[in-house]
Amino acid sequence: MGLRWFHYALWALLLVVMAVLPEFVSKGTLRTIIFANFLAIFAISWDVLSGRTGYISFGHPFLIGIGAYTSAILSKRFDVPVEMAIPIAVVVTMVAGFIVFLPALRIRGSYFALVTLAFMELMYQLVQVIRPDLTGGTRGMSGIQTLTRGAVNGYYLSASLLFAVALSMWLLMRTQLGTALSAIGMNEESVLGSGLSTIKLKLFAFLTSAFIAGLGGAFYVHYLGSIAPRALFDINFLFTIIVAALIGGASTIIGPMIGAFFLTFLLEYLRPYLPGAERYFVYGAIALVLYMYQPKGLLEIFKRFWQRLAVGGSR
Amino acid sequence: MSHPLVIDNLVKRFGGLVATDQLSFKVEQGQSVGLIGPNGAGKTTVFSQIMGEYRQTSGSIKLYGKEISAQSTPARIRAGVSRTYQVPRPFADMNVLENIRVGKMPNSIWQMIRQRPNTEREVELALSVGFSEADLLRTPGELSMGDLRKLEMARTMATEPSIMLLDEVFAGLTVAEIEQVAKLIQTMRKEGMTFLIVSHDLKALEPLVDSAIAINQGAKIAEGSFADVLAHSEVRSSYLGVA
Repeated sequence: MGLRWFHYALWALLLVVMAVLPEFVSKGTLRTIIFANFLAIFAISWDVLSGRTGYISFGHPFLIGIGAYTSAILSKRFDVPVEMAIPIAVVVTMVAGFIVFLPALRIRGSYFALVTLAFMELMYQLVQVIRPDLTGGTRGMSGIQTLTRGAVNGYYLSASLLFAVALSMWLLMRTQLGTALSAIGMNEESVLGSGLSTIKLKLFAFLTSAFIAGLGGAFYVHYLGSIAPRALFDINFLFTIIVAALIGGASTIIGPMIGAFFLTFLLEYLRPYLPGAERYFVYGAIALVLYMYQPKGLLEIFKRFWQRLAVGGSR
Repeated sequence: MSHPLVIDNLVKRFGGLVATDQLSFKVEQGQSVGLIGPNGAGKTTVFSQIMGEYRQTSGSIKLYGKEISAQSTPARIRAGVSRTYQVPRPFADMNVLENIRVGKMPNSIWQMIRQRPNTEREVELALSVGFSEADLLRTPGELSMGDLRKLEMARTMATEPSIMLLDEVFAGLTVAEIEQVAKLIQTMRKEGMTFLIVSHDLKALEPLVDSAIAINQGAKIAEGSFADVLAHSEVRSSYLGVA
């Protein structure tokens, strides 16, 4: 369980790669990477909840949207400084996370997934109808204050956020708490039968997931400077988050990151050939094949490859 | 000193079906009691009520003199009662030690984060139920039915119960495995553990218990020494199919 030298080495390596990356890639690629960074944050958020406890959230854009809209409305309509708006948005998202948690007391499996999907749809309809003077209605909002200017700064902001989220979650999930949360996903009754309060554990997972989603959503909106409900509550966005976590390797931290980068670049490189929604068909097929071949995701494939190399090398 | 377990006038109805019918019994400290009865007699339902997985319709369940009927399952486990299941329910992607770890964990998020797992104790528990060193890192998929039952026992023991409810511990085990599990129970009896054991395998059960209770259709029909209970006419007719 302890930290080993190669753990330090890998995290340090990641930090160094992140730090020097803007020197080597074009501005355009950098913008793609920024999206991948945010997607990775959302995928980690999804995974902390759904990958671990098995309570599949089909409504993660609901939480991300609460974070994004709260911060956008506060800063644009009420002139709240961004450094205040973001923490408030995170707290509000956690309250929303608590609301999503309530049905999880009674239902699970596909029923729970459907309820979360309903949360997302409800939110999509509500932001268009209720107080469009605040939310911007169907068109959304633009001209929201941004935190950074230029791709390089945007990159550093998103990369530091991802690094902080990933490292803290990684450390947290290595403790017995991570084991307990995963245990819920495998057999909730047995966790109860081991004398642990699953309500407490689930609540923690929901709040942590909401915390990360709110943080990511709020920072994302202040990176983009705009918010478009149709893109945010798009079913493709939802599936991109889920697929990123699954094909990268659910119940891990690095897995969703790998998945997010893999998917983002896959979609980006397919763009010249398939400009429309057909791209999602291709990535759906790739995700399906990967998932059938190795349900534990890309991370497991890399691990096996590495082991084979190590075994071959020691011969 | 009060009894580890006192069941008084317990009734459980599922709609029109009476699954537990005014059942009363006591289990003494350090005693091992066998709970027997034909299929569908309501033995497992009694366990579920003691653990709080079902709420009884009426009646009381006292653990060491304290009424536990209003408590949640985890609270009852911390109060000292723990059970195994007929069908083992391991954590599929965790190895033997990690499975036991879940039983050993503190029920506080903060303590879970702070405390390191007590690997020594996990190994000790695993070895005490008869796992070999080589088994410790295996996952449930790689284990036999007997091993899964041993794992279930070890995880239950990890919660540090003072009274254990064992549900069909011998079902699906080979003769050698039955012997192994029986030996484990005997050792724990010597160490003062209190048991309530449900089993269909009367031959294997007999040496493990001090007394027995027979139930049929949720109601107690006989109680006493194992031999007396088996000799009881109602037990013979309902359970053994002998007139």
